[in-house]
Amino acid sequence: MPKSQFIDPAKVRQSSKIEFKDIPVNQYDKSIEEEKVNFSKEQFIGIYHDMVLIREFETMLNEIKIKGEYQGIGYNHPGPAHLSIGQESAAVGMAYHLDEQDFIFGSHRSHGEILAKGMSAIHKMDDDTLMDVMKHFFDGTILKIVSENHQGDLKSLARRFLVYGTLAEVFARETGFNKGLGGSMHAFFTPFGVYPNNAIVGGSGDIAVGAALFKKVNQKEGVVVANIGDASMACGPVWEGLAFASMDQFEQLWEGAYKGGLPIIFNIMNNQYGMGGQTCGETMGYDIAARIGAGVNRDSMHAERVDGYNPLAVIDAYQRKLELLKDKKGPVLLDVLTYRYSGHSPSDASSYRSKEEVEAWEKQDCITSYGAELVQSGVVAQDELNAIKADVTELMKYSMTLAIDEEVSPRMDLVKHPELIGEMMFSEGSEDKMEDRPVEVNHPMEENPRVKQIAKKERFAFDANGKPFSKIKQYQLRDGLFEAIADRFYKDPTLVAYGEENRDWGGAFAVYRGLTEALPYNRLFNSPISEASIIGTAIGYAMCGGRVIPEIMYCDFLGRCGDEVFNQLPKWQAMSGNVIKMPVVIRVSVGSKYGAQHSQDWSSLVAHIPGLKVCFPATPYDAKGLMNTALQGTDPVIFFESQRIYDIGEQFHKDGVPEEYYEIPFGEPDVKKEGKDITILSIGATVYRALEAAKELEEKYGMSAEVIDARSIVPFNYEPVIESLKKTGRILLTSDANERGSFLKDMAQRITELAFDELDAPPVVVGSRNWITPAYELEDYFFPTKDWIMDAVHEKIVPLKGHSVANNFTNAEIIRRSKLGI
Amino acid sequence: MANAIIMPRQGQSVESCIFTEWYKQVGDEIKTGDILFAYETDKASFEQEAEEDGVLLTTFCEAGDEIPVLQNIGVIGQAGDDISGFGQEAAQEDTAIEKAESVEEEVVDSQVELVLKDRVSNDKVRISPRAKKLAEAELVPYKKIEGSGPEGRIIIRDIEAYLASVPKTTPLAKAIIQEEGLQAPENGSGLDGIVKSTDLSSNPVYSDDFEIKKLPNIRKLIAKAMHASLQNSAQLTHHLGADARRLLELRKQVKATEGAPNITINDMVCFAVIKALKQFPDANAHFLGDSVKYFNKVHLGLAVDTDRGLMVPAIKNAEDLSITGLSNQFKVVAESCRQGNIDPELLSSEAASFTVSNLGNYGVEMFTPVINLPQVAILGVNTIVPRPADLGGGVYGFVPYMGLSLTYDHQALDGGLATRFLKQIAIEIENLSIDT
Repeated sequence: MPKSQFIDPAKVRQSSKIEFKDIPVNQYDKSIEEEKVNFSKEQFIGIYHDMVLIREFETMLNEIKIKGEYQGIGYNHPGPAHLSIGQESAAVGMAYHLDEQDFIFGSHRSHGEILAKGMSAIHKMDDDTLMDVMKHFFDGTILKIVSENHQGDLKSLARRFLVYGTLAEVFARETGFNKGLGGSMHAFFTPFGVYPNNAIVGGSGDIAVGAALFKKVNQKEGVVVANIGDASMACGPVWEGLAFASMDQFEQLWEGAYKGGLPIIFNIMNNQYGMGGQTCGETMGYDIAARIGAGVNRDSMHAERVDGYNPLAVIDAYQRKLELLKDKKGPVLLDVLTYRYSGHSPSDASSYRSKEEVEAWEKQDCITSYGAELVQSGVVAQDELNAIKADVTELMKYSMTLAIDEEVSPRMDLVKHPELIGEMMFSEGSEDKMEDRPVEVNHPMEENPRVKQIAKKERFAFDANGKPFSKIKQYQLRDGLFEAIADRFYKDPTLVAYGEENRDWGGAFAVYRGLTEALPYNRLFNSPISEASIIGTAIGYAMCGGRVIPEIMYCDFLGRCGDEVFNQLPKWQAMSGNVIKMPVVIRVSVGSKYGAQHSQDWSSLVAHIPGLKVCFPATPYDAKGLMNTALQGTDPVIFFESQRIYDIGEQFHKDGVPEEYYEIPFGEPDVKKEGKDITILSIGATVYRALEAAKELEEKYGMSAEVIDARSIVPFNYEPVIESLKKTGRILLTSDANERGSFLKDMAQRITELAFDELDAPPVVVGSRNWITPAYELEDYFFPTKDWIMDAVHEKIVPLKGHSVANNFTNAEIIRRSKLGI
Repeated sequence: MANAIIMPRQGQSVESCIFTEWYKQVGDEIKTGDILFAYETDKASFEQEAEEDGVLLTTFCEAGDEIPVLQNIGVIGQAGDDISGFGQEAAQEDTAIEKAESVEEEVVDSQVELVLKDRVSNDKVRISPRAKKLAEAELVPYKKIEGSGPEGRIIIRDIEAYLASVPKTTPLAKAIIQEEGLQAPENGSGLDGIVKSTDLSSNPVYSDDFEIKKLPNIRKLIAKAMHASLQNSAQLTHHLGADARRLLELRKQVKATEGAPNITINDMVCFAVIKALKQFPDANAHFLGDSVKYFNKVHLGLAVDTDRGLMVPAIKNAEDLSITGLSNQFKVVAESCRQGNIDPELLSSEAASFTVSNLGNYGVEMFTPVINLPQVAILGVNTIVPRPADLGGGVYGFVPYMGLSLTYDHQALDGGLATRFLKQIAIEIENLSIDT
């Protein structure tokens, strides 16, 4: 909503019609003869070779899956193998022009793309760079294996490297490209520009856009290709990726070198089936997938259907589309028509298609027909093609023999190193900046209006007499967040932040107020209302080496980016074998007052997912310190904030919130008030209600309560809680999350396990009711209050003399509610 | 009209008393002078007479309650009188204190009272892990404890309350109890009632052959005072005999004289002691650790045996009294002690400057009295026995001798001085003259 853009009613209300540009379909019609001016013999043969390489790789896996052997070598591979036999020309055509600076993202069926892109990169890289890559990848482990008995040039060594590394990964070997932690559906190799392949259909549809954003924001060479299946065009996140990639602001608001479209090609590998569902005629309505482009932007995404059965047609299309991207005219949509003969997976009986159909496509097989044309047009003799086939078969036998050798290619030894995977879940890095170059900002920090305003605020909430300053004078929690984030923007040139209303408005809760003045569009911008793309692009951005703060305005919207938060963000560091780092700090705001879809604390949901760090500060001091830590790290952090306390002042840190930079380590709970009779452990904004309860316990019942603020929940150090418990013997846990299945329950169980003998009563959880959140006026019946805490203490922990309860915490009531599921 | 019965105030320093017993039931007719109830201070036990006629309408306390003095403990009046205005606070006079206390009273004590119960054997025992851990470590028979937690669960405060109510156990005794699965006795023979290994009996035949009674307050106080005395001073005792012929002669004279006051041997000895004390101010003193308090006058404490226990009332300014006056005073305070209405101020060990304990009546020949700290000495008076003595001129005969046992605090007095003082007492006894 920039003021520079005037929405003129006279103009927008005018009568007119939308005219679509034509979307070409299979218009390539050149023969080999005609293409001889564009391709050398080596290039023609190279294309053939790469297709054969893929075909043989997939055939090998197919034989292993179906017969348990390949070329007489027996092996059992119980893991997945989604093969692309028939699609080789589409993959090779896609990769032909791309070098290692161009990044491809793929799907569960991407072996072909890995090999095609890998070969293309190998061809284009100079020997020194290539050697350097192989030498340094996992300390040269793979290179050492494939170098043995190798004869030939470096390119052929690199081919071995590529095939072996991919196959070892498919077989889950520690010597695979991702230490065997990715496997068939996730294998990738970033030094060749092969970025994560995704087992979630359409998963790359928004992640790849983030990679393109990284290229643009950080002015990097190269383009990004999102290889996604035709069936993924039904997935919301793919559409969100399209929407994000085609935002007008790139052209209309971004300035200078940043102006213009994202360098991305959505490459639909259109094999015409989504598992067994036929996209044209059954499960989709686009008829020709390229049609989708018409609905996305004025340029119809330069969409085109290309005959993917002809590698030269695909190469031709890429040549033209890459020119468009060079002119900053992206995004581009390509509908690359192809066909897979192999089943979706080896268990596929192809019951959804006729034998005749498969045979008809086989008759036009992309490799056979391309080879025949090459021979026909005199480029190459059949013998040479046969020799290629024989050579590739030998390469596969060689690679397979090595990859299944337990000595050469062992799996991770989890007996010897039981925590190996555990140690890979987080990268635990500490990086001031992700790249070393000047930061792009609009003015020095001290000239910033928000910075000037904060300078006048009181960094501790109370004056010398213990009287609180007025709210407006107090340095608030939102100021703590601002300081940490602004500081990082001035340190890390790669840092970007975006989300809904992040620019101009300053974020819905005024955390970013002042940042609009400080930062150009390419560092802070408004995203579409499209959480999957907000998080998905952030993941892609981080995968490429950037640091990013995506914002989810209300916690309740986390569901809108469920796959991104649950399946993508937490997984890629470990699944890459720690090749990839994920410095993504998702700001999530927990609401209140706005009812059932704007008031939920879902910290428990993300805490459940391995691979995410989760924190929830409740004071300005903690907010700034934890945000600094989150932004200094290289791990994904879900950073919860509560709308109840954005304006809270610092009540605990007597010296006030430091102006300088400091970090608060994740996982360390903080004692907000000492006591000896009962411990109250809080997550988030409930800490203030816990303190009220502590006050009443003390004044009315002579019990001194220790109030501990968890601050972060993943990781979490239980030791201080156990220490407190040793003193008090009693513990109550509280947060605004629904109590059923909440993280508090997990903590209660852990505490019981770790300190059973210290307990004088079971750990008692006081969370919200398992209801919808009612209106603001009824919230006291839904969210924990001081009185709930008092009642729970009385009922479940230690009867308070003379206390009369208003809320039912009895066992009978718990059983009743559980029976009803409420 | 109904009137409050209040807990009497006993001396300036007594803030509260332990209520011991009601002698009347609610509804009983009361006559002025009837003994209404009994109570104890930390120094003595008392009985309170009714101050008006009427009916005991209600009571607010029971045996063992600690009641602040001047607080309302019951109501006396006519049947049918409105008693709704008599809360426990109604009789409080000191509003300043009341205010200060009323603020504190908002805080409900989180401590609980210990309740023991006979649990039926198949009753389920609910006990928290923390409470159980402590109970097992301290050998608390927790199955007998009524839990104060949710659903009757025994929680840590119940075990703590139990532990506060019973004597401690020595580590050895604890180990033996655990090994042999014994029940810890409620009272031990060690210091402060600590249960020692010798208190344990694993023989079931004898194990019940005793009865354990709680100490009355006064016993506890005496125990504490005596123990403290021996712990906190360097006591030793010198024994010396005094020729008692003069005393016996005087006593004979008193008895023979009709109408003369009944001056006892003890009166005479005390009179002699006062005279000796006047010459030995070092013995008429309190030892205060880093200083000594010398008294100008003699305030003589006299140990009195009563049913309630040993009491040592002081006769203030005893040296100002004639022997008759002294004798009368002794009779009055001794009787007050036996009646239990002695001014508690006079029972304080600080009240006397020196104490005499006379066991001569009982035939005790020698003993080592225990000093009433902070006094520096105490004289034990023994029975009179005939002893061979050189009567002069080569003649030996039996002479009645009275044994004197002076226990003194060597911190305050040296042996020579103590000996000379004791000897002086003997000289005074041997040369006593009384002026009746």
